[in-house]
Amino acid sequence: MSVDYHQLLRDSLTRLPTVGATVDSIRKAVQERGELVILYFNFDRYSKVEEVYGWEKLDSVLETTGEAMRAALAKSALASAKLMVSFPNDDDFVVFHVPRDDTPAASDAEITELTASLKDSVSSEIERAHGEDIASLFDIFVGRALVVYNPKLRLERQIYRGIREAANASKSLEHREQAKKISDLRETLRDRGLYIEYHPIVVTDTQKVFGYEALARGKMRSMRSPEVMFEIAAQSDLIWDLSRLCRERAIEGMGKLLQDGELLFMNVDPADFADPSFDVNTLNVKDPTRVVIEITERTAIKDYPKFRGRLKEFRDKGYRFAVDDAGSGYAGLGSIANLEPDFIKLDMSLINCIDQNFIKQNLVETMVRFANEHGAMVIAEGVERKEEYDMVKSLGVHLVQGFFVHKPSATGVNWRPPMHPAPAVTEGAK
Amino acid sequence: MADASHPPILVVDDNPDNAHIIRDYLEAKGYPVTVAYNGDDALKAFDQIKPPLVLLDVMMPGRDGWQVCREMKSHPTLGKSVRVVMVTALDDWVNKRQALQTGADDFVEKPFELPKLAATVERNVKLLSPTASASTVSARN
Repeated sequence: MSVDYHQLLRDSLTRLPTVGATVDSIRKAVQERGELVILYFNFDRYSKVEEVYGWEKLDSVLETTGEAMRAALAKSALASAKLMVSFPNDDDFVVFHVPRDDTPAASDAEITELTASLKDSVSSEIERAHGEDIASLFDIFVGRALVVYNPKLRLERQIYRGIREAANASKSLEHREQAKKISDLRETLRDRGLYIEYHPIVVTDTQKVFGYEALARGKMRSMRSPEVMFEIAAQSDLIWDLSRLCRERAIEGMGKLLQDGELLFMNVDPADFADPSFDVNTLNVKDPTRVVIEITERTAIKDYPKFRGRLKEFRDKGYRFAVDDAGSGYAGLGSIANLEPDFIKLDMSLINCIDQNFIKQNLVETMVRFANEHGAMVIAEGVERKEEYDMVKSLGVHLVQGFFVHKPSATGVNWRPPMHPAPAVTEGAK
Repeated sequence: MADASHPPILVVDDNPDNAHIIRDYLEAKGYPVTVAYNGDDALKAFDQIKPPLVLLDVMMPGRDGWQVCREMKSHPTLGKSVRVVMVTALDDWVNKRQALQTGADDFVEKPFELPKLAATVERNVKLLSPTASASTVSARN
């Protein structure tokens, strides 16, 4: 069978059939039974996984999702149902269930209960395989449709209408959940319900702590992921309020956490520079030379001259700058040079499996050379494996951040992977 | 006869002269080489021979090298293990980012020097998973 044809019938990642390849196989059963239950699983924010961690990560999350869906379904009352993807490479899943002759079609209540347990087991499997950050990033919304077979109509059309109906139902749930999240965010802002986890950044050669990136987490479960919080804030015009609270919280913890010479890395969205309250004089920072403002390359900067003017106000006070997610877009090195950063944080997708990919190695090498020529330091974030650490070290990357060296925690360095030997700390490191 | 250190290689180039130079050079180094002159034939050969390493020219009429790379990398059984080396000048950041999006593992600049090409092949062979090259070898025997 040719590659093209095969790809239309089966998704290569999840090894699940597509809708088109499944419809024919249930024709007889639907005609005999007279009805079909369709469930539509809408995985919200999977595109964020790809945006933040790169396509390889999303591919791997999709593989896990497919496996988890298959396993959860097999253990459920819908064990005989057919699981599929809408089309190849899609991140939504469809379930066809034709009730057996001797049993009534599952009721709405039964389906609701079942989908809740499916959602739970898929979520916990993704958390186990890919960590809490990824698991807390996305939501699953399940829509349901009942197709009652009408022999006057073509079965395929009835099924495709049913899929659309179930997809729309899942979208309505998503909108309802969105409204609830906006209310959760307002509550978080009102109660200052945020805490900060500090993720160590270490000197590559010595693994001595160089500084900490402040990562905001909501206290409410729905607000655990910063990406989710900021997405909801953007939709509800609360982005400045949320950014302000995150900055205040990060700076509050600085005094207790930072040892001599260590720096605080704080994320600031380019849009925050338009907030009149974001001002060098209003930030409650005693020593601005200890603060590095991270600006993501992902958000387009519309007015460079004006933006650089704002950066200068901060720079003149002693603040330093890092370009975050560098190399994530297609803008190349020119846009990085424009910001004259002190630090360049490489996009995580370049670090993931860098030991296996010579093109990534070439890009990182180019960035290190560029940084050395411009007096900046390169930070590799998302370093999770020893092989990745060894590779970025050999490429001359100055600083490293990632689970391989430290996990983020509310109190700084208090966690180390059990199998990872304690790093040798030498004095006099940068 | 293929062994784990000399797995079969598929060379794809629409220019027969280029393709034959690469083939003759790699065969002399002990690699079994199959040549395809366009994207469609490359995908057919990929399915039949199951090579763990592919050298892929980018500029080809019909399906170009990027498209062929994407399709090989999403192959249901071989996509995970195959390593694809693009034979092209990826001269700037943007080109290299695009190459990563297709799933390419490495590149060798065109016009290539043969020793450089051999070094590129060798470093990719070293990273082949043992199962990938073993299954390929047994499939051929």
